[in-house]
Amino acid sequence: MSYFDFFCNIVKKDPLNNESIKGTCYQMCPQEETNLREHAGLVHLLEVSGPTRQLVKSYSRSAADSNMAIPRLLRPFSVLKQTIEHLLLSVTQRNDVSLACLYDFLNNRLRAIRQDMTIQRLPPDECIQLLEPMIRFHVYFGYRLSGCSINEFDPVLNKKYLLECMKWFLYCCDILEGQTKSNKVDNDLSELFSAWTLDKKPVQKLTCDKILMESLYILCNLDDMHPLFRFLTLRPEIKSAPLLRLAYEIAIANLKGNYVKVCRLSKNLCPLTFCAFNLYLPTLQRKALHIMSHGYSSKQLTVPTEVVRRWLAFDSNADVESTCQHYGLKANGVVHFAKGAFRSDVELIKPKTQVKDKLKLSIEEILSYGVKSKTKPNC
Amino acid sequence: MSTGTLNQYIQFVERVYRTSQGNILARLLSLRDEHVGNRNLRSSDIATLVEGNCIAPLDEMIICHLQCVKALYARDFMGAYDNQSAFVAAVVRLLQGQKEENWALPLMYTVCLDLRLVAQKAEGCDPQSNGKILEKAAESLLACFRVCAADNRSSDTETKKLGMLNLVNQLLKVYFRINKLHLCKPLIRAIDSSPFKDQFPLAQQITYRYFVGRKAMFDSDYKSADEYLSYAFQNCHRKSNKNKRLILTYLIPVKMLLGFMPSKLLLQKYDLMQFWDLVSAVKDGNLRGIDQVMEEHESFFIRAGIYLIVEKLKITAYRNLFRKVYLLENTHQIDIASFEAALQIMGQEDVDSDETQCIVANLIYDGKIKGYISYQHKKVVVSKQNAFPPLSSLY
Repeated sequence: MSYFDFFCNIVKKDPLNNESIKGTCYQMCPQEETNLREHAGLVHLLEVSGPTRQLVKSYSRSAADSNMAIPRLLRPFSVLKQTIEHLLLSVTQRNDVSLACLYDFLNNRLRAIRQDMTIQRLPPDECIQLLEPMIRFHVYFGYRLSGCSINEFDPVLNKKYLLECMKWFLYCCDILEGQTKSNKVDNDLSELFSAWTLDKKPVQKLTCDKILMESLYILCNLDDMHPLFRFLTLRPEIKSAPLLRLAYEIAIANLKGNYVKVCRLSKNLCPLTFCAFNLYLPTLQRKALHIMSHGYSSKQLTVPTEVVRRWLAFDSNADVESTCQHYGLKANGVVHFAKGAFRSDVELIKPKTQVKDKLKLSIEEILSYGVKSKTKPNC
Repeated sequence: MSTGTLNQYIQFVERVYRTSQGNILARLLSLRDEHVGNRNLRSSDIATLVEGNCIAPLDEMIICHLQCVKALYARDFMGAYDNQSAFVAAVVRLLQGQKEENWALPLMYTVCLDLRLVAQKAEGCDPQSNGKILEKAAESLLACFRVCAADNRSSDTETKKLGMLNLVNQLLKVYFRINKLHLCKPLIRAIDSSPFKDQFPLAQQITYRYFVGRKAMFDSDYKSADEYLSYAFQNCHRKSNKNKRLILTYLIPVKMLLGFMPSKLLLQKYDLMQFWDLVSAVKDGNLRGIDQVMEEHESFFIRAGIYLIVEKLKITAYRNLFRKVYLLENTHQIDIASFEAALQIMGQEDVDSDETQCIVANLIYDGKIKGYISYQHKKVVVSKQNAFPPLSSLY
């Protein structure tokens, strides 16, 4: 059972539970684990910087014989917040390890945070604050590492964690929404969200942006209708937010197979939504090439490579040609489309990752930028 | 049925129970029967009066039932729900104890239906609950379902498996109401793989097909949605107009997507004129018109879950529009620019040559236009025969 399901069950069974366990571990790593790991030589490279050590509780699967619900092993909300800040704002600054190694470490420690959250049954307003940066993390690293081999990075697992966080986050939002509605308190939720800042330094803070999360939910699941059904039931104020509107329009254009419009609109996405979209791009390109091989099917006629590059947001003409050849279409300066030639049985081409040049944003900016205030999301 | 005093009522229920008359027992323990109005049954201390006065599993059921009635009169819906929920649990135990017999199924149907209705009532009175009461009710219904589904040893006429579809329909109603459609899948699988699939009463099959059709529609599987909903519509009792209208709300958009347009007469007959403007806009390829209809009836379309289908109908509108251009130009080599201009006139002002080609390419890919695009000449070359095959022939 995923944490999310577990969380739902708890909320269902007793909405006003006062008997949940409160953690009493005020360090990022419980003393017992610190002792054990130091003793057994299990301190991660990323937990050591120079002379100082900062261990962070690592994830361990709950097993039948182990009792996880011990207060002194669980970190309360304030410590979890501090931990996530440490992980995402300080540890990510390290450049002495590979990106895949960094991901691996952070993924493990974030998972442990979610475990602590679940066991303590944190209330929804606290959950969303911790989940939002996690979602950003998984989207961003999913993009940066998409070119890696399967040994270094597993995109399927990353997507699984991402969806777990997202569904949890959105579920919490719905509960909060329901509460404000029934209490008839006219307080603006977005105010509640944006009031949360982590750090003293003005640049280094994590934000909690509901619009961005709703947009990501649509763009990470472009082949699925259900995020769109969700979108339609949102409040009009949220629906009309420019970024979310854009995400919806992209999804609708995609629904109708309008690849030209999808790629054109995608130019206006903000960095993280761009990351999410970019992971979908190879699927879109394959679908579009398949459609075009029917639409432009001819023995003599061709379409210039340059045009295909423009329509389908390829990086270069060489990219177009190698992708076309991969799917069985002849390409040399021009693409020869033919119904019969397209091979739908070959594997999807892996996404290209040239992140640095495209995003030009530091990781702390990625983890902290907000989209709400701007009328037009810039890229 | 006159029920007289509390004692007479208890004796009556007991006699019916001993003689295994499921239907009458169900009526005597229903919340929708006239005995509910009998004041004698609303004594202040039901529990002590009934207890010891009647045989074992029945006393508990009568107490739950009468207390539920009392709570309903006091407008205490949460209390009524709790009693009815305990009643269902007692029925589950009764069914579990009965081997090789299924006469009590009518009782189970009635009690489960009542539970759902009471839960809906309680839900309506508590804005805080957010579907949680109905979700709890679904759990009680699932307990019944498990007992029925697990009855493997009995003969075909005595098996409790015959009660499965009724419960599944109740559960589907709950899941659609609280918007938890992903929970429907195992139920649908259980029914579809059941050997009794075609033996269930027609009324239940219609309800079942109606919900499964809606589910298929939600999952964008329009072909099976058409099949299920058509079955429901054709077999629905001719006098139940309300149900027919409900079925049509979903069947019409699905049919439209598959190329069948409803007649004005039908829409008038079932008071579904919201669709008429849409039908004419799609027929004319009037994209602006579709946008207007979507705006005007937005909440209706969203509530019914057909908003995105209407969005998809734009593809059909493109096809109809392009066909008009083709007939007008009267040639099988049509300039992309003509299509582009037509799109712009009909409301897609921002469209350009690239996007027009993309729309045409999609129509060719779907088989809605027979032909190919020449990028160099900026022309669409269509087949000399049957360039725009009728949509209904495609699926």
